[in-house]
Amino acid sequence: MSVIAPKFRLGYLVKGITDNIFWIIVLLTLIGIPVVQIVLIYIDFPVIDGEIWNPFRVFDAMTHPERALPLVKNFMQTDLFKVVAFPGFGFAALIAAAVIFVERKMLAKLQLRVGPFYCGKVEGILQLMGDGLKLISKEIIIPAKADKPLFWAVPVLFAATAGAFVALIPVAPGWVVADIDLGLLAVFAVIGFFPIITILAGWSSNSKFPFIGGIRALYQMVSFEIPLILSLLGIVMLTGTLNLSEIVESQSFFPWIVFMPIGAVVFFICILAELERIPFDLPEAESEIVAGWLTELSGMMYGLVQLGSYLKLYAFAALFVVMFLGGWNGPSIFPMEPMAEVITDGIVIMPDALVVKDIPGLPLFAGEMINGTIWFILKTAAVIFFILLPRGVFPRIRIDLLLKIGWYKLIVLAFVNIFIALALVYGGIIGPGGII
Amino acid sequence: MSNQVYPKDKEILPGLQIEKVDDRIMTLNVGPQHPGSGHMRIIIKVDGDYIVHTDPDPGYVHRGEEKMAEYRNYITNIPHLERPVIHDSCNILYPYCLGVEELLGLEVPERAKYLRVIAAELNRCVYIEYWLAIYGIFLGHSTMFMWPVGDRELLIDLLDKMTGARVTHAYFVPGGVRNDVPPNFEDVCLRQVNYFEKRLKEYADVFYDNPILISRTKDTGVLSREDAIKLGTTGSVLRASGVDFDIRKKEPYDVYEELDFQTSVLKEGDSYARSKIPWLDMFESCKIIRNALKKMPKSGSVRVKLKPKPKGEDTEVYRRVESGRGALGMHIVSRGTPQPYRLKISVPSFRNLIAMPHLLTGEKLGNMPAVYWSLNYWPVEADR
Amino acid sequence: MSSTDSTEIAKTDDSSLASDLDKSLSDSISKKFSNVEIAYVKPDRIRVNVKKEDIIDVVSFIRDELNFDHAESVSGVDYPEDKQIEVVYHLGSYTDTSLDKKIIALATRTSREDDPRPGNDNTILPSLRDVFPSVSFHERECFEMLGVYFDGHPDNRRLLLPEDWADMPPLRKDFRIKGR
Repeated sequence: MSVIAPKFRLGYLVKGITDNIFWIIVLLTLIGIPVVQIVLIYIDFPVIDGEIWNPFRVFDAMTHPERALPLVKNFMQTDLFKVVAFPGFGFAALIAAAVIFVERKMLAKLQLRVGPFYCGKVEGILQLMGDGLKLISKEIIIPAKADKPLFWAVPVLFAATAGAFVALIPVAPGWVVADIDLGLLAVFAVIGFFPIITILAGWSSNSKFPFIGGIRALYQMVSFEIPLILSLLGIVMLTGTLNLSEIVESQSFFPWIVFMPIGAVVFFICILAELERIPFDLPEAESEIVAGWLTELSGMMYGLVQLGSYLKLYAFAALFVVMFLGGWNGPSIFPMEPMAEVITDGIVIMPDALVVKDIPGLPLFAGEMINGTIWFILKTAAVIFFILLPRGVFPRIRIDLLLKIGWYKLIVLAFVNIFIALALVYGGIIGPGGII
Repeated sequence: MSNQVYPKDKEILPGLQIEKVDDRIMTLNVGPQHPGSGHMRIIIKVDGDYIVHTDPDPGYVHRGEEKMAEYRNYITNIPHLERPVIHDSCNILYPYCLGVEELLGLEVPERAKYLRVIAAELNRCVYIEYWLAIYGIFLGHSTMFMWPVGDRELLIDLLDKMTGARVTHAYFVPGGVRNDVPPNFEDVCLRQVNYFEKRLKEYADVFYDNPILISRTKDTGVLSREDAIKLGTTGSVLRASGVDFDIRKKEPYDVYEELDFQTSVLKEGDSYARSKIPWLDMFESCKIIRNALKKMPKSGSVRVKLKPKPKGEDTEVYRRVESGRGALGMHIVSRGTPQPYRLKISVPSFRNLIAMPHLLTGEKLGNMPAVYWSLNYWPVEADR
Repeated sequence: MSSTDSTEIAKTDDSSLASDLDKSLSDSISKKFSNVEIAYVKPDRIRVNVKKEDIIDVVSFIRDELNFDHAESVSGVDYPEDKQIEVVYHLGSYTDTSLDKKIIALATRTSREDDPRPGNDNTILPSLRDVFPSVSFHERECFEMLGVYFDGHPDNRRLLLPEDWADMPPLRKDFRIKGR
């Protein structure tokens, strides 16, 4: 094994750190503070607790976190935060990055090798960043006779559609970007876009292998969308709603997988097919059609499609959790509210030494939300693990066998699942006016 | 006595003749820059998902080994003749050495014969592991790519100890082997081969018993016994079609007569059987190695001394051995010069290539990698 | 086989080592066809020289009566001093277990021209592809490497050489490698 930093000296490290601190201070004072001042003069200020903020209060808040808390809490309730950061894109992209890393390391362990190892010094945790930089710095090559507007649109459309899918997933009570009454129907509508995008990619690149890959993707996704939709209908019958948040709330006592195991299995297999993951990675079957509909994509166009597909992976796993595993419901492992004396007296960290005063506005997030998020992430990680696992175990399936599974077996099983749901509803066991 | 394979009326094998196809059929150039082709091109015409015409186009790595051999003498031919298939370099030198020994009239020492058998069997396993790895990745099974490549390292280490080189050994010379093995070689070899055999059994769990693999390869690319004989296929392709023909048994060279092993034969003739035969062969190879280690003389010379530029008789020889892919023959024409007048290498890959258009035509495109690589075809060797 | 003391190999002594089966095979060929020449009968190896007019008959006899069912190799040898090119077919048997070790080397010769135009000159041999489909690719290789046109072969195209190869067939003796 090669030495990672052969000429390491502590002096150089200290010098590097102090240099960086020096430059940060210099740039912050010379550029950062004037810029903030100029910006603050021009923007509108929100009204918080009945009083309007002004630039001086913002500057005041910058000096002490306690005074900035109301501003931060206000920001977290805005749509911008929800779309960009927490239940939306940022959160999903972070999970997607983690999934890529875990996938590579897990597959490596399965195959008796080490996987990413050097980049980032600790088990290659920065490998993904390196890959991203590589993709960004690569040249984007467009085939000469490609349909250029469509070709450029494909990666953007793919990532955007995956992002739209992510926006429909409720992560914690109240924490969902788009909480619409027909949430499940919206999910089906968004899924319906993916085959169109893949066939567009295959068509617009004007190349044979992408075209075959696009056609295969079309076949595969269309034939697996039907059992996917059917497998979720049973739950809609039992809950009587299409709103994903309400579906999660209906599972506070038991998850639907207890009553719908067949539906869960069908849905899981459909997930694998929709995600084009091994054993159903036919649209990208390397040894047959090079890289399928991704063949002509290069550089960050490919990177965007990969990002989109991992966002899609997260979204499907999250949908499985929402529909079958009870979403954010779970035993309380995070204290819901601090005890009364803590609120009044503050927390005694060391006896007689230091008493932290009660800070108004804390905690930043409700305990219920953090608890829900933790359960949601744990369940999603478990589902993602089972989505990743077949890659190390299975070879690729053939397209005719795949379509046969989709049309002959999964649809039948999905109908069995629906009949179970109907029996439960009409038997009065569950559902509106049922025993449970 | 009539021949059962050839019926009296003439018939044309499907896939071997050029068919006229209309323009709406898509032509795919699979290779030479294609992850599923190797160093060759297969021009495939597809009608929907079905292959209607296949035209293999090898030659991208043609190096003119046969022409080069006419300019070099019998000893200096050794290092370049192993280049066509460096993963099986002992076995491709084997018929050459046997033929040159027959031409020069050399008697190989007993210990060298056993060392040759051990090296050849180790090399066969190295080749098959590499082939199996690529078969795994062709079917999209990445674990089956990593495992054989990792286990192959065990045997490469052994060959490294034995010959001094990891891949291109140039170990066989006319009249014996180049050098003797290090003193503790027998123990190390036995230990590593035993461990290797244990690992081989695990492949069944992850690969050969995998239902998806079976559904993909069973009944695809079926080569009947008659067609296998007619097309002159050899090695694992032939034995998967139910013809029990292994040169090691049928025309034993060196000490294969005295060793105890079976040839593996399956009757199905489909891709699954063709992919399984080499794996079964590796178990037999382990058996042969253990057997040879037991019977090998503990000491003795390993090479006869040769004159600087030995001259052959004015005659010709044809010798063949069973390599990792099948029967590998060498036709050496000598005219009393230090160089061979003509050296023809009849390689198994080239002989199995003829089955490719026969098998692929009529298959689905998705079966192409499964059928193609199950032919145990090594493009570099076929090009020579 | 391997321990054969081959220093003694000369064409006359060699036949003494050959088995009865070898001799009976060669006898049956020479009895049936008067104008073929049995060049040698070594242990398990028989070489038969035939004229190119007779080769289809001889090879059909070998296939149908002697049970040799496939060709192992087709090697062309160039003899510029004789102005001839020899093509040697090595025939073997899978179906008949008594013939496992036996190889019949069937050699035939055709005329050779100093200025070769492959396919358009007199270097022509009848193709054995209809008798043995296994020679199909071997004959294609022989065609491009030595310029022997196989009459009756439906697919006399380049196989290994590049499509734009414009020099003479490379395995002829007057094609020299540069620097040698």
